[in-house]
Order: sequence, then structure tokens, then C-alpha cells
Amino acid sequence: MKNVLLSTRGLKKVYGKRDSKFEALKGIDIDIESGESVAITGKSGSGKSTLMHLLALLDQPSEGTIKLNGKNTSKLKQRKLNRLRNKEFGFVFQSFFMNTNDTVINNVILPLKIAGIRRGERRKRAMAALETVELGDKYKNKANDLSGGQKQRVCIARAIVNNPKVIFADEPTGNLDSATGAKIEELLFNLNREKGITLIIVTHDEELATKCGRQIHIADGKVIGDGKGVAKHDPSFIEDENLDGIRDKNHTKEIDVEEE
Amino acid sequence: MKALDIIHDANANLWRSKLRSFLTILAIFVGSFTIILNSAINAGVNDFLDKQIANMGGDGYLEMMPAEAYDSFASMISTSGPQEYTEDKDSTNQTAYIKDEQIEKAKKIKGVKVFNVLPNASADYITSDKIEKRYRLNLNLVVDGIDFDMSHGETPNTAEDADYEIAVNEDLAKVLGYDNVADIVGKTVKIAVPSTLKCYTAIKRSECHTIVEAKVSGTQAPGILSMGGSRANLALWKRINAINYEGMPAETNRSYQATADVDPDRVKEIQKELEEIGLKSMSVEDEVGMFQSFFDAILIVFNIFGGIALVAASIGIINTLFMSVQERTREIGLDKALGMSNSKVFLSFSTEAIMLGFWGSTFGILVSMIVGNVVNKVAIETFLKDFPTFQLTIFEPMTMISIALIIMFIAFLAGTLPARRASKKNPIDALRYE
Ligand SMILES: Nc1ncnc2c1ncn2[C@@H]1O[C@H](COP(=O)(O)OP(=O)(O)OP(=O)(O)O)[C@@H](O)[C@H]1O
Ligand SMILES: [Mg+2]
Repeated sequence: MKNVLLSTRGLKKVYGKRDSKFEALKGIDIDIESGESVAITGKSGSGKSTLMHLLALLDQPSEGTIKLNGKNTSKLKQRKLNRLRNKEFGFVFQSFFMNTNDTVINNVILPLKIAGIRRGERRKRAMAALETVELGDKYKNKANDLSGGQKQRVCIARAIVNNPKVIFADEPTGNLDSATGAKIEELLFNLNREKGITLIIVTHDEELATKCGRQIHIADGKVIGDGKGVAKHDPSFIEDENLDGIRDKNHTKEIDVEEE
Repeated sequence: MKALDIIHDANANLWRSKLRSFLTILAIFVGSFTIILNSAINAGVNDFLDKQIANMGGDGYLEMMPAEAYDSFASMISTSGPQEYTEDKDSTNQTAYIKDEQIEKAKKIKGVKVFNVLPNASADYITSDKIEKRYRLNLNLVVDGIDFDMSHGETPNTAEDADYEIAVNEDLAKVLGYDNVADIVGKTVKIAVPSTLKCYTAIKRSECHTIVEAKVSGTQAPGILSMGGSRANLALWKRINAINYEGMPAETNRSYQATADVDPDRVKEIQKELEEIGLKSMSVEDEVGMFQSFFDAILIVFNIFGGIALVAASIGIINTLFMSVQERTREIGLDKALGMSNSKVFLSFSTEAIMLGFWGSTFGILVSMIVGNVVNKVAIETFLKDFPTFQLTIFEPMTMISIALIIMFIAFLAGTLPARRASKKNPIDALRYE
């Protein structure tokens, strides 16, 4: 019983015009199932971030279609796209992306504030997200004063604060030492395992990639390998019945594209 | 995103680059301060002029006399301050009078609603028990139904059978021997009234005087117009008239003063027509108008300064916000990536512009109120000492609020340019921006 969450056909992305025209993606066909953990790997400049931005509906493809739960996303209104990104997606961007002048908690609160959630409620939820990344005691600090690993954890807290169904992470461990990186990885895979959150991780770290349930290799804007290799973190191979229960429940929780 | 969050964030963002925001607010402040203070002075002066106009009988009120009598009258009212009375200086003896045919013609002029011929009444001097000196008295009649600008006491009783009452011009009240001008209210003054017939035969003018005592009902605030003189009530006026024409045939008791209530829109035309039949009239506008147009011209110049300051401030707002949009490119990108709509981004930058306008105009109002009140105090003690009812600046809440709202609207308009640029930013480009 497969539940295809994201599906692309003939996806192309062209940057620039005429002479400076550059085809970053040259026709991508992939299907990502709900609850999967997918690594997008490839050399620098191969088009990983570009693909991720398209999948996350942050950008429009030059050609091709992206279907979310079977619905063609090019037909969605801007308002609907905003709502989807705000409520269903979580983002961890390449190089910590946060308002460094603001406090830790305010950074985590941001998606909830945009959603228009009450003050008390959003604070409570932001604190819970910070506890998950073990930064509950730093909530008042200025974001800029945190270490690199802590900043990335704040970004993860921000990505999960809205209880997303999918997390897009662009080089989540790229700027970190291996010990800190391992911690971040653990956090992400825990979310995938325990909450059934679909993980789409862009990385050129082979080790991180192999921990994912599936690796999509990209070179020059084309998929050169889509390895459905069995990774030890793949939720479908965990024998724990309790976790299975949770996972199944979450897997059936579809993103309602029609909503509103 | 909630409205309160947007306002809160806009304010927080302003204070992130304190100096820049402060300087922009300062520019708005200069413009709003100038305009608000101007409008307060305008309100103060207009209030004062309105009182003056009321003093003279309102917008459609004309006082007139035969052209021949006008010149001597004009020379009398133009001399400022109380003049001491001396016997050799003859009082104005009016020989010219308003003829019946003039009255008939005047009444027929289009727009003339009420035409009143005042009986003549002239007094030589006024004095009190407290002083030896005598002062020339320029008398007018209290016109019923007009609120005079009284600095102390009340308008004299206009009933025909009232006691003799007079509203003494404040300048005159000051020299009548009371330390405190207010103390004269309710006291008695002595008025020397000549009897024309007796004066023909008298060797010394004082021989033909009848002294009439009248109660001072109050003091009339001095205006920019010394025209006011002092005002007698009808009872006193009639008594003085009776003494003036004592023993003379009724036909000689002719009037050389008339008043008219006319259509305020035709004042100028009516004055012209009156002049054609030999009646020289003075309207309120004649007196107040010149001063007002001069004053208006000054205010317009200052308002232009204020306006220029606001234009400069608007450019400051545009500049500040463009810089802010540039600096916050990544932040805007993040907001949009996380689902903030273009309109909300636009709204948050517009709100910031409005906040700049809000603070600028709020400080403008506060500081101009402080300055205005200080100037008022100083003015009342110095160059406006003679005009106790004149408040140089009046701050009307509705005017202040409207000016603030207009300035906030101008700030909003200035902010639309940068706010549009912010809202059009593509989240991906913004995220790639370093
Ligand atoms: N806005 C743009 N205009 C022009 N070219 C662009 C633009 N954005 C990306 N590109 C180009 O598209 C290609 C793919 O870029 P992308 O950021 O997706 O690479 P990547 O695989 O994420 O690389 P990295 O691992 O270094 O982050 C690159 O050659 C890049 O120069
Ligand atoms: Mg990249």
C-alpha cells in the first residue's frame, strides 16, 4: 500500500535568459512516498538545492509537473501554497537561516506567528519544540550568541514547531563537526521514525545519505541513480510494533490539498 | 499574522536601526511641528478675530454715518489710548445728520435686513470718584443680541427701562483709579454730558455739562480696533440724548449714526450703494479683514515651509525603508518561505512607514503644545498684555488628530514604494542573497 506524497514528471528548471541561459534541472522524474527518508546527493552545483526548492513549492519549474498527493501543484493559488508551506512543511535551509538579531524563541515562533496563532499557544508550542532539540534553557538568548550546532538545532525546532508532514533539510550538517552533525542527524531520524515525518535531505555527505531509506543521486541536473537501498534507519524495517503503530497512523494522515 | 503582531514587529524593526529611524522621525517631526504650531496660532488668531467681529456686531453688521461726519469721527477713533479731556479742545459737534430720504433709500437696498437710526448721544468726558483727571469718552450703543468680548463683568442690560450702565473700554478702565481693573465692575462712573443749547451761551463749557452717573457693568476687552470705545446701554444712551437736546425743538434731534444688519454675502455691494446715497459705512471686514489677510499670508508661508519639510521627510521615509528592505532581504525571504503572503509583507513595511509618521506627528503635537503654551504665557505677560482674552495658540484636539492622520497617510504613501519592492521579492532569490 504505497502512498505517494510527492511526484515529479519531466521537471526542468532554467535559470537566466538567452546567452546566460542555464538549465539547472534537465527533466527529473521521482516519486517520494509518505514517511520516507530520502537523501538527494550529488556534486556541488548539480542542482540539489534547486530540486529541493521546487519540491518544497518555493519556486516554479520551467517545465514539468509536481504532484502533491496526486494534485498538480501548478494549479494551486498563491494563498494555498503559502498555507501549505506554513502548515505542512518544515524547512532547514543551507547555512543557518534565521533572524540572528532576534531571540531563540522568537525564531522558533516565526511560522506560528505567520499562521496567526495566539501568543500563549505559540509560546507553549515553541518551548516544546525547543525542548525536543534540548535547547529549552536557551530560549531567551539572542540567536546570534549560539554555537553553530545550537543554531542548526534552533532551525530544526523551527522546522518542527508547526507539526509538519514533510521536513526539507538542505545540508543540515554541512557546517558542523561530525559529533554535532551526528546529533542533528539523530534528531531528524527520530522525527522520521517516531512521528512518521517524511524527510527530504539534501547532502553531499555520503555517510548521512546512507542513513536515509533512499538516495537520489543527481549530476548535471539529471537523476543518475535512485537507490532504494535498505538503510538501517528506514522506518519500514524497524521491528518495534509500537513504533509501527505510530508510524502507520501518521502515514495515513494525508496532506489535504483541497482544504479551503 | 495578526494586526497586533504586525504593529508590534513594525515598531521593533524601527528601533533596530535607532539612529536612522530617529533621524527620519526628526524630519517628520520638523514638518508636523511647523504645521501643528501654525494651525494652533491660526486657531488662536481666528478665535480672537471672531470675538472682534462679534464685538462689532457680526459679519453682516454695518455702522454708518453721513460722509461729511465720517472724517472727524475717523480721526477720533484712530488715536490710540485714552485721551485726557481739556476744555479748549472742543468736543465733536455734529452738524451733519442722516436725512429721511437717505433712510428711505438705504432701507430699499437689496440685502439690507434691518436699518436702525441711532439717536445721537455724545458725552465730553468720563471720570470717577477716585481720580481728578477727566478722559474723553467715545460712546457706542450696546447692540442687543451681540456677545461682546468682555474681559471683566458683563454686557450692560439692554432693556429700555434698565439702570444706566456702561461697559468701559479696558484701556480706559485702567486709568479710572482702580488698582485692579476688575475692581471697577459694579462701581459708578461720572459722565459729563453737554447740553447743546446751553453750550451756545455758556462762557465755560463746564457750565453746560450735566453729570450722569452710570454703573460699570463690566470692561470691554480691548481689540485691535480702538473703534470699540465704551458702550452705553439703551437707557443711558437715551438719557444722554435727552440732555444733548434739552430745550431744543424735536426736529433738531436728528441722528448722524445708523446701523444695519445686512446679507453677509453682499456687504461690499451694499456699502457701495450706501456710499452713493452719501452714507459712509464700516463693516467688520473693513476692520478685521486687512489684518486677517496679512496674517493669512504669513501663515501660508509657514505652512509651505512645513509642507516642504514633510516632502523632505517623505523622501527620508522612502530612503529609510528602501535601506531596511535591502538589509532585511534574507529575513523577508525567510518570512515568505515560511508562508507569509505578499500582502502581509507589504502591510508590515507600510505599517513601519505609518509608525514613522505616527511618532513624528506625536512628537510634533507634544512639542508644539509645550512650545505653544510657553509662548502663550510669555506673550500674555509681554506684547499681548493689552489683550487679555487673546490666546496666541489654541490646540483643538480634532485638528491635531486630523493633522496627525494626514501625516501618517503621507508616510504610508511614501512607504508604498519600498513596501511594494519588499512584497515582490522572490523567496529563493532572497534566500540566496548574502
Ligand atoms: N538564480 C540563479 N541564476 C542562475 N543560475 C543559478 C541560480 N540558482 C542556481 N543556479 C545554478 O544552478 C546550478 C544548480 O544550483 P544548486 O544551488 O541547485 O546547486 P547545489 O547542487 O545545491 O550545489 P551546492 O551543493 O553547492 O549547494 C548551479 O550551477 C548554479 O550556479
Ligand atoms: Mg545547495
